[in-house]
Amino acid sequence: MHRSFEEDLDKLRTRLIRMGSLVEEQVEFALRALREGNQELARIVVDRDDKVDKLDLKIDKQCQRIFALNQPVASDLRLLLAAVKINNELERIGDQATNIASIVLTTPNAVQLANQIDLHRISQAVYTMLKSSLDAFINNDPGLAAHILPSDSNVDHLYDLLRQELIDAMKEDVALVSDGANLLLGLYDMERMADHATNIAENVIFLAEAKLVRHRAVNEEGIDLMKAIQERDSD
Amino acid sequence: MAKEYPVKIEAHNFNFYYAAKQALFGINLSIPERRVTAFIGPSGCGKATFLRSMNRMNDLIDGTRSEGDMKIDGVDVYSKDVDVVTLRRRVGMVFQKSIPFPKSIYENITYGLTLNEKVAKADLDQVVESSLRKSALWDEVKDRLHHSAQGLSGGQQQRLCIARAVAINPEILLMDEPCSALDPISTGKVEELITELKDTYTIVLVTHNMQQAGRVSDYTGFFLMGSLIEFDRTRTLFTSPAKRETEDYITGRFG
Repeated sequence: MHRSFEEDLDKLRTRLIRMGSLVEEQVEFALRALREGNQELARIVVDRDDKVDKLDLKIDKQCQRIFALNQPVASDLRLLLAAVKINNELERIGDQATNIASIVLTTPNAVQLANQIDLHRISQAVYTMLKSSLDAFINNDPGLAAHILPSDSNVDHLYDLLRQELIDAMKEDVALVSDGANLLLGLYDMERMADHATNIAENVIFLAEAKLVRHRAVNEEGIDLMKAIQERDSD
Repeated sequence: MAKEYPVKIEAHNFNFYYAAKQALFGINLSIPERRVTAFIGPSGCGKATFLRSMNRMNDLIDGTRSEGDMKIDGVDVYSKDVDVVTLRRRVGMVFQKSIPFPKSIYENITYGLTLNEKVAKADLDQVVESSLRKSALWDEVKDRLHHSAQGLSGGQQQRLCIARAVAINPEILLMDEPCSALDPISTGKVEELITELKDTYTIVLVTHNMQQAGRVSDYTGFFLMGSLIEFDRTRTLFTSPAKRETEDYITGRFG
């Protein structure tokens, strides 16, 4: 193996972890800004999205270069495929964090409504999923990744619940509709973040196990592997 | 292993020795008919020795001996009843260096056919054309069949050697690094040819070029220090190998 190839893969991993940390902080700041009505924090998130986008481009180009020059196979191939996908997921999560921060900046009154219906029930669950999926990637831990996946249905459930509560609140007080409509979008962004975190976890499993576990409704192999990992993990 | 296709060649507990030095250790392997099977592994791992055992080319080296079975269509090629000349007619071979005979293109192809028997000119013409067509060389050489084969380019010479091997109508084609001396364009043509020929022949290929194994073969065997470490469908071996040694070798982390 060329030492430069090994170094390239190490650099890619390191850069992807940096992207993960940055996006995780973007999410943390955006959710905190919404909870506290902290405009300064929201401003930081919006301004920093350029940094996320630049890193996304860098990682993408780096992957292209490694593919073109090294024809990777086996675990190297999986690392590169997973890197392209995880990078993509992270960039989207970054955009969603920016959307939430923008709500704080453009409709400050939405903060009060968010606290009124306790939107933070979902934000905590989403943040935990994201953080765990990144930890699973950093530690190459398919067991942790497998544990994250069931949390997505919990988030989906909270999304349905909060969406209904928001609509009910708007029905009761028409003056809330403008803020409420914005918050509905923010709530949707949170739900999508959890989906992206799920995808990251599935890629961590692919990286370690060489099997695709996504689309479990039509993928029996994926279900079998999930069971096997969970059983192995409980030993 | 290779359950989807009928087995053409089967090795069972096959050992091979160069004098006192053992080169192959208990190889068990079934090679499917009319597919391309590639052997990869570092230099000296035994992959070419194993290939040459299939048509007993190793017999030409003094002091070599084998143990165990090497069966083609269920018959051990090392049994006393097997005539080596007949065996090598059934199992053709293409080498790393293409060495055309210092004769015309036409005679290079007919040489093997006319060794033991007299063949009518019209039949020879027909074999020359069909062999050159099969080896994708016909259009390039049809106007100079009686010119020296040594005037051909390296890539054309290698395809001529494939035509020469195909002319005697073998069932199996063994290829020992057939592209290692060729440029990428000639390599591409030979690889394309291998893919076309597998409809007719069982092809076994030794290559140092793992991308080549990936591109042309259906099955791949990985050899290391005289042992067959792993044998599987090529797509499986190159995406999720079962053995640590295979993973290390194909990702270049070997040694």
